[in-house]
Amino acid sequence: MEDTQPAGDVNGLPSAEKTNDYVEYEAEMDTSDEEDIRNTVGNIPMNWYDEYPHVGYDWDGNKIIKPERGDQLDNFMEKMENPDFWRTVRDLQTGQDVVLSDKDVELIQRIESSKIPDSTYEQYAVPWIEWFTSEVMNMPIRNGADHKRSFIASRQEAQRVERYARLIRAGLLKTREQKRREREKKRERSFYMMWSTDDAEDKHMRRITDHIPAPKRNLPSHAESYNPPPEFLFNEREMRIWKKQEETPWKRKLHYVPQKYSSLRQVPAYPKFIKERFTRCMDLYLCPRARKMRLTIEPEDLLPKLPSPKDLQPFPTVQSLVFNGHTDMVRCISIDPLGQYLLSGSDDMTIKIWEISTGRCLRTIPVGGIVRSVEWNPNKALSLVAVVADRKLLIINPGVGDHLIVSKTDSILSTPPVQASIVSEKVKAVVQWDDATPEEWENGIRLVLNHFKEIKQVTWHGRGDYAATVMPDGANRSVLIHQMSTRRSQLPFAKSKGLVQSVLFHPIRPFLFVATQKNIRIYDLVKQELFKKLMSYAKWISSMAIHPGGDNLIVGTYDRKMLWFDLDLSTKPYKTLRLHSTAVRSVAFHKRYPLFASGSDDRALIVSHGMVYNDLLQNPLVVPLKLLKEHEDCSDFGIFGVTFHPTEPWVFSCGADKTIRLFT
Amino acid sequence: MDRSKKKVDLGSQIQIKFITKQEIYAVPEFPFAVDSKIQCENLNRLVNELLKDKLSDDNGVVKKVDFDFLVNGELLRTPLDIHLTNKNVSSESNVVVEYMEATPSPEPMDCLIHDDWVSAIHSSGSWIITGCYDNSIHIWTNKGKHKTGISGHTGPVKAVQWISVSNDSATFVSGSQDQSIRVWDWDIKKGTTNCLQIGRGHERSVECISVSPDSTRFATGGWDTMLKIWSADPNYEPADKPAKKLKSETKVMPPIMTLKGHKENISSVQFINNSDLITASWDHTIKHWDGEIGGIKTEIVGNKSFFNHDYSDLNGSVITCSSDRHIRLYDLRSKEGSLVKGTYSSHTQWVTTVRWSKTEEYQFVSGGYDNQMKLWDTRSPKVPLFELTGHEEKVMCSDWSNQKLILSGGADNTVRIFKNKNVKTV
Repeated sequence: MEDTQPAGDVNGLPSAEKTNDYVEYEAEMDTSDEEDIRNTVGNIPMNWYDEYPHVGYDWDGNKIIKPERGDQLDNFMEKMENPDFWRTVRDLQTGQDVVLSDKDVELIQRIESSKIPDSTYEQYAVPWIEWFTSEVMNMPIRNGADHKRSFIASRQEAQRVERYARLIRAGLLKTREQKRREREKKRERSFYMMWSTDDAEDKHMRRITDHIPAPKRNLPSHAESYNPPPEFLFNEREMRIWKKQEETPWKRKLHYVPQKYSSLRQVPAYPKFIKERFTRCMDLYLCPRARKMRLTIEPEDLLPKLPSPKDLQPFPTVQSLVFNGHTDMVRCISIDPLGQYLLSGSDDMTIKIWEISTGRCLRTIPVGGIVRSVEWNPNKALSLVAVVADRKLLIINPGVGDHLIVSKTDSILSTPPVQASIVSEKVKAVVQWDDATPEEWENGIRLVLNHFKEIKQVTWHGRGDYAATVMPDGANRSVLIHQMSTRRSQLPFAKSKGLVQSVLFHPIRPFLFVATQKNIRIYDLVKQELFKKLMSYAKWISSMAIHPGGDNLIVGTYDRKMLWFDLDLSTKPYKTLRLHSTAVRSVAFHKRYPLFASGSDDRALIVSHGMVYNDLLQNPLVVPLKLLKEHEDCSDFGIFGVTFHPTEPWVFSCGADKTIRLFT
Repeated sequence: MDRSKKKVDLGSQIQIKFITKQEIYAVPEFPFAVDSKIQCENLNRLVNELLKDKLSDDNGVVKKVDFDFLVNGELLRTPLDIHLTNKNVSSESNVVVEYMEATPSPEPMDCLIHDDWVSAIHSSGSWIITGCYDNSIHIWTNKGKHKTGISGHTGPVKAVQWISVSNDSATFVSGSQDQSIRVWDWDIKKGTTNCLQIGRGHERSVECISVSPDSTRFATGGWDTMLKIWSADPNYEPADKPAKKLKSETKVMPPIMTLKGHKENISSVQFINNSDLITASWDHTIKHWDGEIGGIKTEIVGNKSFFNHDYSDLNGSVITCSSDRHIRLYDLRSKEGSLVKGTYSSHTQWVTTVRWSKTEEYQFVSGGYDNQMKLWDTRSPKVPLFELTGHEEKVMCSDWSNQKLILSGGADNTVRIFKNKNVKTV
């Protein structure tokens, strides 16, 4: 407010009297206007009155004469003599000299030194309002809580530092220390270690680049609190243990004894502080840190390493012979124990005997029924085959091989044995033993066993005297055991356990394997009881074969699986082989070589290696070797029967394409 | 000389030197530079050019002769550089090429029709004898005329062999699946046959027969794994047992000796001299027996069952065929190194019969279940010399006792006769 000056007050400054009040000032100005005679012409350029001796008129109308001005000499004299010369100023409006007062001079000086003109004005008399004081006030300036970052280490700074650290670790940024060392190195002659794998620099850098952080200490738990809940304190037993382990303090669960104090005041100084820190430092210093190499296990390593088929030779690889001659599907084959002849039975109601080495059909015998199963008597002293034709089991003398044996067999069979006891009614209803008619005798048929239902399978016992037949429709009378020497049959089972699929004799011990649709039961024939029941977890079992050693069984099922049972191991399958794409109809073991084969409806014959070890600890090794798919596509069926040659690593398969094929 | 050089390409060259054992075809000794990819055909032309003067007869007509070339003991069948790399021989130095007149290809001559599979065949001089699956034996002339058929066996005849042939009569022996061996006598003029003796002793089918070179004894082997040696003398009577006389006056004779040793079927037997025999069996072994004492001299063990074998005294090696499709050559006299001296693979199925040439030390024939008969040279293991086609079914037996005729019998009921033009006059 002091800054604004009234418009009319150009030439004269207001008097030095304090004029705080503007109204008062204005009033003074207004009153002095009438008396002020100094300026009577107004605000005009004074050069208009240069020619005239006067400047303006006074109230009486008289001319106001300009004061006399001295010349330069007078000026000079004035300067010398007049002590107030330096304060004398010429007022341009009125043309008169004005002597400035002290106050005026002081004012001018203050202005020139850029101070506030008013000397009495106290610039700093205003009270200072501290907006942001260092005193902690009751009420905060702002209404929110301070951010955490205001009292925590700055995150951005940490990021920058982290970035620098990363670059240094990567070697992209050099620390000052490094630069200095480099400069020094450049100056001096450098020697290289020719044979060292890492120099000092590398070791130094490795601590930075491959940094393994120190192991963290455990955070304090409740037991370490100054007032833990009472359950954390040691009871007597724990105290005793703690004292006992004084010699071996690293074995203790806690390295301190939990103490309980009611308030923090009462907590004494921790006696072991320095020792603890020292041990920590020793740990850091003495324990070298190394990275634990993690095990990288490829899934392929977990697969068992099977030997390659090349190592497991010999096994059949190519088809060598085709036996052509049957006019319908060939359902079953069997080889004579010496390996010279092959017997086959077919849907064309005949059986044929072939010479293996040439593929020549030597004999054809009509049997008057679809042949579902044939088996050559394993006894080498007899020349007999068992043939299943519908409801009849025919015992036939094939008439090939050694003449003496053939004739001996005939002589044995022509004389019926003496019947010691009567045949029971139950058995009579099921099967009847008949001699062959003379025409049948010509063909080679010696004995006919008429069963009451259709027979599906026949199998011989190893000695050649007993034969077992399976009639699936027979319910509890499905399985029959016949004895050739006495011409008697037996019904071993009283109860039906399911649809019987297949029956096998154990090669060595007196066991009978009976396969129903889902399980296999092993019966001890001497003790006449169930020995074991094997769970197959398959929907429908089709065929079985037993290893010549007698401890392993292989089962083929209609749901494309082959199960290997190790009888010593467990009643569950040892291995389940899913090698085929359709139902497995027939399986077989080789008597000498560790081979087994399976034939299925997709005409594939798969030969596999099945090595059984004498060492009881080692499990059998099963390796699939070769897929032989030579049978032709003919109807939905594929291979019906599979059998191995007794001595050579050859396999025979018979199928729906009316052929039998030999693979060697 | 310039004309031969014109054939040379701008490619790499090999220096070759020609040598030959046949003096009438000798060429100058100095080496020739030929294209490295040169084949048999071009070498043939080269040699023919070189021999132009020698080969032309008086009228100036040049007779072209086919030559076969041997490089490093093997017949040249591929381009020369491939042949050399296969044998690991550098082509830097002079390559010695031996040449000889090529074997002319056998000519199919005749086809003898039978009623059933022909399972055994043997020729001697002017007669051919065959054994058939219909239990009969037939005798033919070399020209293919059927002389006589003999029945008597009750099982398929698996083996036949001539014992002795003269102008008036001949004796032969046959073995069959009915476990018996019959010695027959054939009166050529009258045309009648007479069974002199029946040999019983085998417990199972008889598979093979071999007559000793002096025609005094013969040996048989069969499915009962026994090797039996019999006397070929019609009047033979063992010292201890008098021969039984059957109603038909055919004497039954026992064997002189029975040799045990094999574990499986003896598929092939052969006398190599008057006292030693070689047998091959399905138990994967070949045994060399001493016929006098009845003991085994040496044994060769293989991997597969042997189906047939033949021994040649020209080179002392045994050629065998097995239940795989390869023919293997064994040398009985060698003691070190691998036993198999050569493997010949060209058949696609089982090989059932092999026979050496009686005059050439390098040639043999083989026949197998792939319906083919092949003529091989032992110096060319991958490719046979000739393939004698004709059979429509499996070849079951073959014979090359008569050097002019290569015979083979098969399951197509025929015997095929091929004429061998490479006849050496001894």
